[in-house]
Amino acid sequence: MTAPTELARRVVHHKLFWPVVALLVLLLAAGVRSPGFLSVTVQDGHLFGQVIDIMRGAATPLLLALGMALVIATGGIDLSVGAVMAISLAVSLQFLDNSATADQPSTAVVAVLLGVAVALVLGAFNGFMVTVLGIQPFIATMILMVAGRGIAMLITKGQITTTTSPPFKTIGSGFFLGLPMPVIIAAVAFVVVVIVVRRTALGMLLESIGINREAARLAGVRSRNVTWFAYAASGLLAGLAGIVYGAPTMAADANNIGLMKEMDAILCVVLGGTSLMGGKFYLGGTVVGALILTTIERVVIIFHIPSQTTPLFKAIVIIAVCIAQSPVLLRRLDLRRLRRASRRRAELASQEVPA
Amino acid sequence: MTTLTSPTSTTPRWRTALRRATDRRYMPVAGSVLTLVLMLVVGEMRYGGSSGFLTPRLVSNLLVDNSYLLVLAIGMTFVIITGGIDLSVGAVVALTGLVIATLLPMGLPLPVVLLVAVLIGSTMGLIIGVMVQVFDIQPFIASLGVMFLARGLANVVSVNSLAITDEGFASLAAWSLTFGEKANQFRVNAAMLVALVLLLVGFYLLHYTRFGRTVYGVGVGDAGNAIDLMGLRAGRTVLWVYVISGTCAGIAGILFALYTKSGYNLTGIGMELDAIAAVVIGGTILTGGGGYILGTAVGVMVYGLIQVLISREGLGEAWWTKIFIGAVLLVFVIVQRFLTARRR
Repeated sequence: MTAPTELARRVVHHKLFWPVVALLVLLLAAGVRSPGFLSVTVQDGHLFGQVIDIMRGAATPLLLALGMALVIATGGIDLSVGAVMAISLAVSLQFLDNSATADQPSTAVVAVLLGVAVALVLGAFNGFMVTVLGIQPFIATMILMVAGRGIAMLITKGQITTTTSPPFKTIGSGFFLGLPMPVIIAAVAFVVVVIVVRRTALGMLLESIGINREAARLAGVRSRNVTWFAYAASGLLAGLAGIVYGAPTMAADANNIGLMKEMDAILCVVLGGTSLMGGKFYLGGTVVGALILTTIERVVIIFHIPSQTTPLFKAIVIIAVCIAQSPVLLRRLDLRRLRRASRRRAELASQEVPA
Repeated sequence: MTTLTSPTSTTPRWRTALRRATDRRYMPVAGSVLTLVLMLVVGEMRYGGSSGFLTPRLVSNLLVDNSYLLVLAIGMTFVIITGGIDLSVGAVVALTGLVIATLLPMGLPLPVVLLVAVLIGSTMGLIIGVMVQVFDIQPFIASLGVMFLARGLANVVSVNSLAITDEGFASLAAWSLTFGEKANQFRVNAAMLVALVLLLVGFYLLHYTRFGRTVYGVGVGDAGNAIDLMGLRAGRTVLWVYVISGTCAGIAGILFALYTKSGYNLTGIGMELDAIAAVVIGGTILTGGGGYILGTAVGVMVYGLIQVLISREGLGEAWWTKIFIGAVLLVFVIVQRFLTARRR
């Protein structure tokens, strides 16, 4: 086999090949339909353009999906991310609303830390229920998914808390080095998560738990602590996502912030090639997944498809990916491949015999 | 050991009865009945007043207000006994409500519309069933996918709240029989009758048919060995269980539409948790293999009473109910966890 075909084969078989192709096709389709879609302009030293908007939009789902990927790797799921978003934003904005110095950067920092800390506690609570009490992950996190919205409403007293704090607003609508703040925050979070799980053995431990919890435990993996870490990280990142998501409008609508966002997070993770069965996870793929998700949302607008069909579209993609990943289908495809290979071998053998 | 003691043996009859009542299988259900009694006692003590707390009117209100939930919980009981879960029911309720609200103004006859609504539920259940039975996808993921699908479809139908003004539908919603006066008033309406009939059907199906036995057998797990040893064929049981749950969700969607006289794409958010909570409070084991339909009915009553007590305490806001239901479900799940852990 020659070198170029070998390279091509490796590219095609790379885990990220199909997600990246899907992303490029979407971007090109949008670019053809609406010229200027792919152009980026510079205004006041800030980058502007549809592509930049897509990156900005992808920040929230990416933050959620990073945590979700870690949880899914352990074979669990975190359905509470949307509710945690609502709670952390409600806590932050309620703090700013009651503070006399809401326009001070230090107050905004305290508000952010407070919101993220509450989210971390909630994530740790999920982890406690899953690891210590041994409740199934979807039940444990679904309790918080529903009760959490109640807690968020309790914090805002059922109102939509609106407040003004320029430094806090910067988190959502500011720019840094020409890029929107959410993009920077998501990028930093991504790098931190990658360093924590891929530069240490943590990522491997997470995968070992997802592949076989009992085997991992017998091999000496402290599966309880590692799983707990995954849920805590997911809570923390969801809290951050809530603040980034709500900062531009500065309105904590406990009923609607983060509604169905758990679907987006799961979608990003599965689009990135991570199986919902747990085990191997791909953070780079998750980034591509988040970009695909946001691009789809944009493309829907560009192609004048009614925007309320987007959730339907996402749901169909999730179901399709689930079926494509299902062990039964994979086994059947494998069987067919094996059978074809053996038939070919038999044909080759029969040709060789007369000669 | 109850099977070994016959009435003619020397053990006194009351002891046999006691042993039967304290059988470990009934422990979770006994817990939920105890909770119900406790709540009624607390209610009687705090709000008894002159006419009393536990009145026929309270019971009929509980049944009327929670009939849709009872229907959801009956379907969910089947699913949970097999060790599965159906997270899609709330979204299916929203979808059927919207479909009813859209189809009726088009001039379609009422029975056809209602049939379509039920069939939509069955179809959603069928999709989950196929994913779980044929493709071996975990139930919560399969039903989560269908939950998103149903919500997505509801969004496509309408993102606004649609009022149902059809005369036939309104008269169906308004129909009721009333017995007694004031506190002794007992009201029967269509939704309550449907729910009670389904309760009986569910009871028969689960406890008196081969299908019902198989449902328990699937839930016991052990990779189908348990069922084989019982001489039952698992076959398509898992698939049917989700079709039952989906159908119940479709019917519950109709009952909820009768109750609210409107359809809205955001109704039923968290309703799946309500149904699961009612089933779990009613003593069905979340990991599968054990539970009773009548226990579920008790669970729905407990759930309804919680709401009544919360509003009587002056905590009528929606968020208290959500938080409280979450907390109660948490407590029951933890208690169950310890009960089942001790058994193993």
